Amino acid sequence: MEDPDHTGQLPLPSMASTRAQVIRLPLPLKPPAPQKPRHKETKRRQRGDLWYALYFPQLQELPDAGQEQALKELAALAQEISATVSFHTQALVCEVRSSLNYFGGIDAIHERLQETIANSLQQRQLPPQFLYAASPTVSGSLLLARGGHNALVYRKDNLRSALGQLSIDALRLDKEQNRRLYNMGVRYLRDVWRLPSDGLRKRFGSDFVTLLDKALGRAPEPTHNYLPPPAFDTSYDLPYELESLDRLLPVADELLAQLCDFLRRRDLSTSHLLFSLQHEKRDSTQIDMGLRQPSRCREHLLLLLETHFASLSLPAPVIGLALRVEAFDAFMTRSAPLLNEDRAGGVEGEGTLDRFMEQLQARLGGNYVESIDNVAAHCPEQASSQSDYRQGSSAGPARPAPFPANPRPLWLLDKPHPLVVRNSRLYHRKPIAIISGPERIETSWWAGSDVCRDYYVAREQNGSRIWIFRDRQDRNWYLHGYFA
Amino acid sequence: MANTPQAPASRRETFEPGLSRRLGPVGTGRPSGQAPSSPGKGDIDALLHGNPKLWRGCDMAGQGFHGRSTGFGQLDDILPGRGWPQSGLIELISPCWGMGELQLLLPLMRSVIEQGQWVLWISPPYLLYAPALRQVGVDTRQVLVIKPNASCKDALWSMEKALQTKNCGLVLAWQNWLPDRVLRRLQLAAESGRTLGVLFKHRDNKHSPSPIRLALKDISHGQSRRSLTEVTLIKARGNFRPLTARLNLYQHHPG
Repeated sequence: MEDPDHTGQLPLPSMASTRAQVIRLPLPLKPPAPQKPRHKETKRRQRGDLWYALYFPQLQELPDAGQEQALKELAALAQEISATVSFHTQALVCEVRSSLNYFGGIDAIHERLQETIANSLQQRQLPPQFLYAASPTVSGSLLLARGGHNALVYRKDNLRSALGQLSIDALRLDKEQNRRLYNMGVRYLRDVWRLPSDGLRKRFGSDFVTLLDKALGRAPEPTHNYLPPPAFDTSYDLPYELESLDRLLPVADELLAQLCDFLRRRDLSTSHLLFSLQHEKRDSTQIDMGLRQPSRCREHLLLLLETHFASLSLPAPVIGLALRVEAFDAFMTRSAPLLNEDRAGGVEGEGTLDRFMEQLQARLGGNYVESIDNVAAHCPEQASSQSDYRQGSSAGPARPAPFPANPRPLWLLDKPHPLVVRNSRLYHRKPIAIISGPERIETSWWAGSDVCRDYYVAREQNGSRIWIFRDRQDRNWYLHGYFA
Repeated sequence: MANTPQAPASRRETFEPGLSRRLGPVGTGRPSGQAPSSPGKGDIDALLHGNPKLWRGCDMAGQGFHGRSTGFGQLDDILPGRGWPQSGLIELISPCWGMGELQLLLPLMRSVIEQGQWVLWISPPYLLYAPALRQVGVDTRQVLVIKPNASCKDALWSMEKALQTKNCGLVLAWQNWLPDRVLRRLQLAAESGRTLGVLFKHRDNKHSPSPIRLALKDISHGQSRRSLTEVTLIKARGNFRPLTARLNLYQHHPG
């Protein structure tokens, strides 16, 4: 960074500098004297904010979501030097007046930031340069940074002259307004300063004037500030080793109470908890607890944890318990019905089913629960699909599958079971009598696994109705399903 | 007097058990022109037959109407309350799987799903085939299957939890041998969740505490195409003796 003193654009006025010195600035054009009442105000707020703007023109090439994500990451870095970091288009603005003393001046702050930010940008495979400026107003710093002037302005009085050197392009006006300004002979902001503000308001709208007022510190500047994402991490060291999980539950309950308190204060809920049970001289046992719906109900979480504990076997005694939550969801709730008679409705029931499914998943683990669905496939084995319940429920309504005209069995065998032919009669332990058929199914010849079968409905001697077929390639008979 | 025969029927339809206190002594204070005895008898019948908790010594099967229709008229006739109970455990005994025991339950599944409840299949012995369910009018979006490789302990645990959940209308499980204690526990869970649980078994256990036990037996003639199944009511709460019904479970099949 070039020292702002030597940029040739702006001197570094000392804190005690007076208005007279400002007028003697080595500027090509003398800025008009500020209005009297403003001067009084600036004098009173001499040690006002100092906003340090960082402008990243390279972010323009990213999509909107990517820009937002990158800015969030950069803001997390910028938080190292300032408590207030606000988001702007492809730019961040931090308040640094309060941290000047601590870090030892704006140069120290800049050097500190430059390295980490350049690293972060390189990780994203973006050019590591960025433009920056500091001034007493947010918009002023932004304009200076966008204009490519790495300027440092400490006092509001000097803003007008510093901004005056910027081309009107830095204002980011639309084409039409740019053209009109250009036609009026306005090239730099200092030309705008000479125009009466009520006339400007009439010609260019109040937004334009407000922007200028903000840059000069005459209008309030609300900002959208960066808030670090919440994180919850707590642990409890047991006074003695515990081998029974039942006795661990009260401790877990205490941790869950802390979590629920944390969530309630931030109006959040969570759907993913990570418990780790620590052992001596061993890796800790991890419990990954997922919820079907975000919740912050302590009893519910404890019940789920109990279910997890039931299917857990401890490799060693537990010496500590930790709970970590990283993903949060906004808290959603349903309003309770006013009248008693509505209360038995489906809304409450939905919740109980979800809880039941959560418990099932906690106990059986992973993908034991399945939903089934029709698939529009001609081959009998592929016409039914079993999918994980969680995915199945999100897939929405079933695809319209063609309705088979002939009866299909409720139960299908994984693999067709070969049948025996003896004395020209079919046997599956006992003789089989064909009731109806055949139904010819020929498909999948294009996929290599040629299916060409004649299906029959048959009856076993013990009364079961079965679905059998004759493979037309190897001329053998197979049992494929039970009508049950 | 011409309207007297219709009166009991219409009253029976609109009757609610909660009204009994307000009705006072039955058969008194009627509007003139009606015979006092016949509408009163209808009220009593409604009271006696509409309540599954009331058991009368003379109450033979086929009376009362508190059950859910099975969809098979002959089976309704032999079941107490003219149908499946509203909640509880049913045991279906068939010598081998696939003898028509699912056909017997299809009307029940349809009615459960129409009520917006779920049907849970716990470890069925074979793959459940979706096109067949769709063919018989069971919406597969309301059907959940627990994989057969779940352990017996987990399966029983799931069954108990499912029976306690009001959203599961019907829970089907295949368990051959269960101790009485477990059965009693399942029965209690079913009652608390007002759910129907069906256990499919190969062999009958005389001392089973389930309120209803049914056995299936094929009685069709050797090579005849028409299959006929005999359903024996081994035990039913509120019933004295075994009753049988002969059903054609494959009515919708051609041939």
